[in-house]
Amino acid sequence: MRLLRYLQHWVSGTGLPLHVADFVPDTDPIRQWADTFPWTALVAAIEHRFAQRFPKRSPRGRAPIPVRVLLALELLKHEVGASDEAICHRFRTDFAVMDACGLQEYQAPRSQGHFVLPETLCEFRGRIDEVLMDELIAIQAAAAMETGLVSPAHLVIDTFPCEQGSQRVTDATTLYKAQKKPSN
Amino acid sequence: MARIPQRCGSQATKLTHQAQHLHQERTKVMRGFGRQCRGQGHVFVKLVRHTEQQLLELGKPITALGHQAQQLLAQATALSDSTRKRWDEAFNAAMSSHAHIRKQSPQLTQGKKLCHAKLVNAYDLTIAPILKGKSNCPAQFGRKPGIASDPATGFIFANRVPEGNPYDANDVLPLLDKVQSALDRVSALPRLRVHSVAGDLGINDAALRQALHARGLLTIGIPKTVEPINPTPTPEEIHAILAEAGLQRQRTPYQVQLACACGYSRPVVESHIASLLARGAGQVRYKGLQGAVVQQGMTVMAHNGATLVRIRQQRLSKRAQKFRRLLGLRPRNINQINNQKN
Repeated sequence: MRLLRYLQHWVSGTGLPLHVADFVPDTDPIRQWADTFPWTALVAAIEHRFAQRFPKRSPRGRAPIPVRVLLALELLKHEVGASDEAICHRFRTDFAVMDACGLQEYQAPRSQGHFVLPETLCEFRGRIDEVLMDELIAIQAAAAMETGLVSPAHLVIDTFPCEQGSQRVTDATTLYKAQKKPSN
Repeated sequence: MARIPQRCGSQATKLTHQAQHLHQERTKVMRGFGRQCRGQGHVFVKLVRHTEQQLLELGKPITALGHQAQQLLAQATALSDSTRKRWDEAFNAAMSSHAHIRKQSPQLTQGKKLCHAKLVNAYDLTIAPILKGKSNCPAQFGRKPGIASDPATGFIFANRVPEGNPYDANDVLPLLDKVQSALDRVSALPRLRVHSVAGDLGINDAALRQALHARGLLTIGIPKTVEPINPTPTPEEIHAILAEAGLQRQRTPYQVQLACACGYSRPVVESHIASLLARGAGQVRYKGLQGAVVQQGMTVMAHNGATLVRIRQQRLSKRAQKFRRLLGLRPRNINQINNQKN
């Protein structure tokens, strides 16, 4: 997949394009991590699901940012513990991140701040539903099992708490917060 | 509620006044409540209950006013269809949250115990306290995701973010269904299967064990008491385990031995969870249940990527290496090593 063709509206610089892969050594942790994902299958699953849920009504408009780039950015965000802004910034400046996102060539003017805006990443995330998320994990697990790296013969199941906040569980607090929010 | 009559026309001034009056009274009550509690360092339960009673009294006309506002919204011609629909949805959601709060509030004011899934956020009914919260101390609230992982390497085959804080045993079968859906995608032979399931005392449930045995799964990894599971059972014990599960024809003694060795171990599971927590899974940052599902899912995928890197580089614990040998999972870089030698 030639991503550069789709990225033309951002990567619009002139001069000799740099080959991103040449700048990232094989031993780079991000490169090794990115090489474990079955990108083609993951992207196909997302495109299929999006086409079902959000059908394209008009052929007009600018070409979308490739799903491959957005998915890789979202995963990298969790791997390196970065915020949306930070990971989008690294995508502009870090060759390892560009390589992980499947960008093959780099040719952009200095004045260009971002290849992907954080808002775009947020919008992409908002389109992913539970069915698709389960499918993506299943694809990754199936690819790992196919290569004989892991086996599900013996499984361990557990839960862990994932905190959203803490408050006094009184109805006064709940009601107060509920009434305070719309007035803001 | 006060905004609806303003946008729908000037005929509903009475409703506007009533809504604004209610809003002012509520502000007064809440201001007094905050003032008395400030700087004290602890919560006065009597004061909380008294404030709740006041709020309940004040909130009595909200249902009737809500009906009026809804009728007004239906008749509003000044609003476009899409705006009216959006307002209607937001209004219905707010009224439904109010109904939930009103339902559980009288229980608290009368000193009664609240139901299991108590409401803590009027805008997201799917989150629940993840600890047993009391009215005199703060309690964490959020989600309780479940994971199904390989004890040897930590690869997570499935995860699930349930609504609220359900019973742990309810997570097991949906997680196994997800693992099965991943297995169905594998075309390589021989077909892979799940042989056993391990878990903590929280999933020690007779009905669940029966359901797992019906699927042909060993449950020896789920402890029945606080005593640790014997990792090296004798042949007689293995026979008894198979007979108890009714799986003599489906599972081999060797599989039982491995299942015992893979039994629930807190440090092993903690290491998998710690890896997820290090990637930010400990706190929900995205909005709503869907946001939590996406966040946890992406974290699991990132963790799995890192796990596969470790497996490829043979950076595994002695225990994991031994399990992989016993399961017949050989490293795939044998040819590569030979090439280097030659």
